[in-house]
Amino acid sequence: MSIQEHYRSRAKELLSAGTVKMVIGYGAGSTPDRRRPVFITSPDEADRLVLDTTCRTNLSGYLLREGLLSDQKQVAVFLTVDGIRSLNVLAAESQLDTSQVLVFGFGIEGDQARAIEGERAADFKSVIAAAKEQRKSQPADELQEKLEAMTPKERFSFWEGEFSRCIKCYACRQACPMCWCRRCVVDNNQPQWVNTSSHTLGNLEWNLLRAFHLAGRCVECGNCSRACPADIPLHLLNRRMADEVQASFDHYPGMDEAQEPVLASFRKDDPETFIL
Amino acid sequence: MATLLYSANLNDCIARWREEGLMVFGPATTGGVSGFQEVKDAGSLDLDLILTRSTLKELFFPRTEPMLGYRIGKQQIETEEFRPPEGRRIIFGVRPCDAAGMQVDDALFDWDYHDEYWFRRRDSSVIVSIACTHADDFCMCTSLNLSPDSTKGSDVLLRPLLAGNGWQVEALTERGENALASISSLLKEGGDPTAPVADVPVKFDLEACRSWLADPENFESRFWKEISERCIGCGSCTYLCPTCHCFDIQDEGDTYKGIRRKNWDSCSFSLFTMHTSGHNPRATQSARWRQRIMHKFNYFSLKFNVNSCTGCGRCTRECPVDMGVTETLQAISTLQR
Ligand code: SF4
Ligand code: SF4
Ligand code: SF4
Ligand code: SF4
Ligand code: SF4
Repeated sequence: MSIQEHYRSRAKELLSAGTVKMVIGYGAGSTPDRRRPVFITSPDEADRLVLDTTCRTNLSGYLLREGLLSDQKQVAVFLTVDGIRSLNVLAAESQLDTSQVLVFGFGIEGDQARAIEGERAADFKSVIAAAKEQRKSQPADELQEKLEAMTPKERFSFWEGEFSRCIKCYACRQACPMCWCRRCVVDNNQPQWVNTSSHTLGNLEWNLLRAFHLAGRCVECGNCSRACPADIPLHLLNRRMADEVQASFDHYPGMDEAQEPVLASFRKDDPETFIL
Repeated sequence: MATLLYSANLNDCIARWREEGLMVFGPATTGGVSGFQEVKDAGSLDLDLILTRSTLKELFFPRTEPMLGYRIGKQQIETEEFRPPEGRRIIFGVRPCDAAGMQVDDALFDWDYHDEYWFRRRDSSVIVSIACTHADDFCMCTSLNLSPDSTKGSDVLLRPLLAGNGWQVEALTERGENALASISSLLKEGGDPTAPVADVPVKFDLEACRSWLADPENFESRFWKEISERCIGCGSCTYLCPTCHCFDIQDEGDTYKGIRRKNWDSCSFSLFTMHTSGHNPRATQSARWRQRIMHKFNYFSLKFNVNSCTGCGRCTRECPVDMGVTETLQAISTLQR
């Protein structure tokens, strides 16, 4: 049975039994090569679910839709390892209760989508641990190496150029499961902390602020870069921050739901290299 | 016999216009993202693009625009009014849907208030459009009563020659005629056949949609929630739309100096209708999506007798979750039957 058939029948089973009230997955999009998020609530709709290598969006953010989990009922959701990690971060940050979430885990390897064993966030510990080890040995991409080799001044002007294209649509924020604040700091206008204008300073402020807010929380799912209409390589910023927290604190976000957020916790053996 | 411009002469045209002090803009790509930019030669133009990623409206309605400035000193207060920059411009290689979009917004910016920021730029620009011989799956101008060779909003329309070596030239306005007069020695007479325009299928029944939208019964329909369930409320569909025109006025600065700016805004954002009391009349994303559709195909059409959409398809092409107005109007068309 293909992975798609496997999850379709599992969705039917769970919906018929009333175990879950909804399955959040992928369905056909407006063109043959597009997929879109779908919300399945009855067993006969389960055949709309599609799972293949074009399913890239991290769907965990939809779990935070107002009221969705407030009735204590369960929801099933298709997630990759990154997605499961974001689920753990959300649970660690008290945004949801993983006992209400059933995971349809999958991974994309080459030209195939594969199921990952397990159904509860906690079942994926070893898969996440393996991803952490793999990340340590993952080589930097070409552009990242180029950036590292630049002087701070050159790097600054590289990012200034990239950010100059930002149109302040906030698609990066809206697409990010980790951007869960009901009220974002940039939407606070009494007082206005951050310029809303899409000029050089305003764009720098926004993009740097978001990068810092994601430090130690970003799971590198890529939703932000894929959503950005200005094609700004946001993943490079996130990746740099992730490298930093991994090197300094051996912190890999989303290991499990008990993991303390790196910037909101204190350990006696923290390096504290920035404190004189 | 018709007037022709051969591609081989385009570079000289641009040079001629520039010598006359005109700025020349056209579709070009930087950082992988296409938009309208000032160009110095024909080689910088990307005329093969079906459509640029960002729209023409940025040249008339920038993302952010300073309006007023103030500086408070010990003895005096200085204020300054910022005016849109002077300078005549030729915008070459516009697609008919984008040109039509500027005409749609003319109605809005000249309604209860004549917006100088928009019209100073409009009045000093010549729009030279090129009819489309290619379209993609998202193009839908024909559904909005436009066409790949629509002349709406253009000062000059160019029709590509079948041989691919130039265009047939048609002036549509006096402004267009003047722009052509300055390159008259580079234009030729000829009977070269033109290429057929792109085949753009009609995707929905606009009139049926409009009557459904105009029926107050449908304002609270469950349809709105179902169709927009996946919308994440990023504003990119509105920011990339040639006809969306909403803006916010913001003061930036402190007690001593600052600037008042006109910035893009979007009905997709939760803050758009937030009251100071904390109440938000459009509390959900589905209510915001309904506003977007209602505004474009009901309120705007009733008020100005034109839809605030020209079928460029950008809202679908760039939506991170594959939404867009096409699908919604297609669904409304089927609700009719
Ligand atoms: S910042 Fe980007 S890559 Fe990181 S979690 Fe958010 S969407 Fe995913
Ligand atoms: S998605 Fe891209 S263009 Fe939009 S606000 Fe984020 S960085 Fe800017
Ligand atoms: S329709 Fe798409 S592009 Fe528009 S606000 Fe919703 S998610 Fe963003
Ligand atoms: S609503 Fe969509 S198709 Fe219509 S003009 Fe705007 S971006 Fe183009
Ligand atoms: S659709 Fe929304 S953003 Fe666009 S013009 Fe209408 S109200 Fe403004």
